[in-house]
Amino acid sequence: MKKRSSTASKVVTCIFVVLCIFWLIPIFEVLINSFKSNTFVNTEAFALPNSESFVGWANYIKGMTFGNYPFLKAAGFSLLITLASVALILLCCSMSAWYINRSNSRFAKFFYYLCLFSMIVPFQMVMFTLTFTADSLKLNTPFTIPIVYLGFGAGLAIFMFSGFVKSLPLEIEEAAAIDGCGPIRTFFLVVLPMLKPTLISVGILETMWVWNDYLLPYLVLDRTKYMTIPILVQYLKGSYGTVDLGATMAVIMMSIIPIIVLYLFCQKHIIKGVAAGAVKG
Amino acid sequence: MADVSLKHIKKVYPNTESKKKKKGEPEKKTNLQITEEGVLAVQDFNLEISDREFIVLVGPSGCGKSTTLRMVAGLEDISGGELRIDGKLMNDVEPKDRDIAMVFQNYALYPHMTVRENMEFPLKLRKMPKEEIDRRVKQAAETLGITEYLDRKPKALSGGQRQRVAIGRAIVREPKVLLMDEPLSNLDAKLRNQMRAEILKLRQRINSTFLYVTHDQTEAMTLGDRIVIMRDGVIQQIGTPQEVFDHPANLFVAGFIGVPQMNFFDAELTKQDGKYSVVLDGVSVALSDEKQANLEKNNVQPQAITLGVRPEHIALLGDGSQMLHGTVDVSEMMGSAVHLHVTSQGKDVIIIVQTMDLRGPNHISLTTGQKIAFTFGGNVVHLFDRESGKNLEA
Repeated sequence: MKKRSSTASKVVTCIFVVLCIFWLIPIFEVLINSFKSNTFVNTEAFALPNSESFVGWANYIKGMTFGNYPFLKAAGFSLLITLASVALILLCCSMSAWYINRSNSRFAKFFYYLCLFSMIVPFQMVMFTLTFTADSLKLNTPFTIPIVYLGFGAGLAIFMFSGFVKSLPLEIEEAAAIDGCGPIRTFFLVVLPMLKPTLISVGILETMWVWNDYLLPYLVLDRTKYMTIPILVQYLKGSYGTVDLGATMAVIMMSIIPIIVLYLFCQKHIIKGVAAGAVKG
Repeated sequence: MADVSLKHIKKVYPNTESKKKKKGEPEKKTNLQITEEGVLAVQDFNLEISDREFIVLVGPSGCGKSTTLRMVAGLEDISGGELRIDGKLMNDVEPKDRDIAMVFQNYALYPHMTVRENMEFPLKLRKMPKEEIDRRVKQAAETLGITEYLDRKPKALSGGQRQRVAIGRAIVREPKVLLMDEPLSNLDAKLRNQMRAEILKLRQRINSTFLYVTHDQTEAMTLGDRIVIMRDGVIQQIGTPQEVFDHPANLFVAGFIGVPQMNFFDAELTKQDGKYSVVLDGVSVALSDEKQANLEKNNVQPQAITLGVRPEHIALLGDGSQMLHGTVDVSEMMGSAVHLHVTSQGKDVIIIVQTMDLRGPNHISLTTGQKIAFTFGGNVVHLFDRESGKNLEA
């Protein structure tokens, strides 16, 4: 019996190793092509770089200077939008989830279900009207687009925070009330620190989404002035509309490295946070 | 350092659920009274607590004791009546402004703070000077023996240590009233006994008025200056531990206070030549002079009654004519005493026999199936009205 189960686990391990390889192939492809010259990317996309095709860091240097829009500016906007959006989502959604769970009002329950409902509405369904709304409300700059992200990110975030808040004993907040905290202090001094595992997991999930998001900033932002890295990748063209695929691959690599590093550092918190919400919620 | 007055306190939970239920469907969970307003969790609660007094609210689950405590703390709204602390009306005052502290059953420590930070927290919120905070935390930690754990997080502590920290957090504030909601329920039996003794010691050292909630009557008896026994939101009796033990107001109190529980028999109260006696299974027991006087004072007529006798007041004897008879069902050896479960007149009667009495030449065998004879004196019986359950002597 024991032997059979260990064989089964080996088979499962093998299947997952193969799946992982399949999963990693595209990233690996981007990585190797980022070190090859444009010609070889077009002709021998799957070949490893050799003495002829290898160009070293040239693609990376070109990627940062190529095209009409500076890479560092786009990266700066990406960073600004990501940090502001995630901070806004974490603050507002944790507060909302706490209120929803601690209040008995029907409005709070209705609002919660509204948030859940927002998760099942596909973005494509609302994107057309969103573009006009964002324009008319002047939400089309990197400084205001976090509000749009807050709207789209709230569903998942409130769902996850709610699951965790439900598992927090009410007595701790009651103790805080007796110790001298009003609702604001109770939230910031007592509840928020206890939400740390969920804050981290929601933070990472939302960071990955906002950093990599292409469609929303493409539709909402005024592209003549502001670009994020995913938009920049599409606009990496020379003066005659030539596309340097080697440089494009290099830019893609530069854009995914921060998020991979972030994920590797925080993955245990993601699992912890998601499980906490799922089991006790 | 304060007296607390509760006058006609009432707590009503609005009837949200029952409206959806079919009419006439009985409430199964508890016997709480349901009115048009809602469920009456606490009714007409009157209690005057004097300065530094230790009051214990005791009763079975759902009797309203925790609700009452939470109303004093300000965690529950008071539906009716007046709550005064030091003469000031507190009904609508925020918990933080009542100058009270509370210890919860599940400790309710802040998990992200160290023990020291937990204890400092209420003082920092009151913007107390740093030196004063340090002095108070040090003093409380020494009192509770938790000095060595001050820099640990609560998760690194055992249940008993956590509860000490929770008590520490409450006493550093030097509150007027210290509220405790079943603080020992989460601890194992040995630790509970130890902590109970420590709470008694603590009580000598600090100047607060205590309001303590428990469902454990041993805790109530050992800790309280006075005990308030509650059932279904209504006070059954208020008195010192000795009073409620010796003179229970009704059948409920008689059954609730005392371990093992008091034995109840269906008996007849008779009066011959101006003297009361109880007749049980053909055996007549003459009542003591004190009981005679009490019954006389209340002008009690001969009637069918419920007779209560505590297990420790029943004596095992050799056979005789004026004896009650029974058969030993189970014999529980408790060390210093044996708890005998005896079947007599189809009822389970519990008798406590001291182990000392079982030694020596006149020992009685207490094996299962053994026929025994027992009796009790007329000075230790409790007489209750069979209909209302009230003590006829009260």
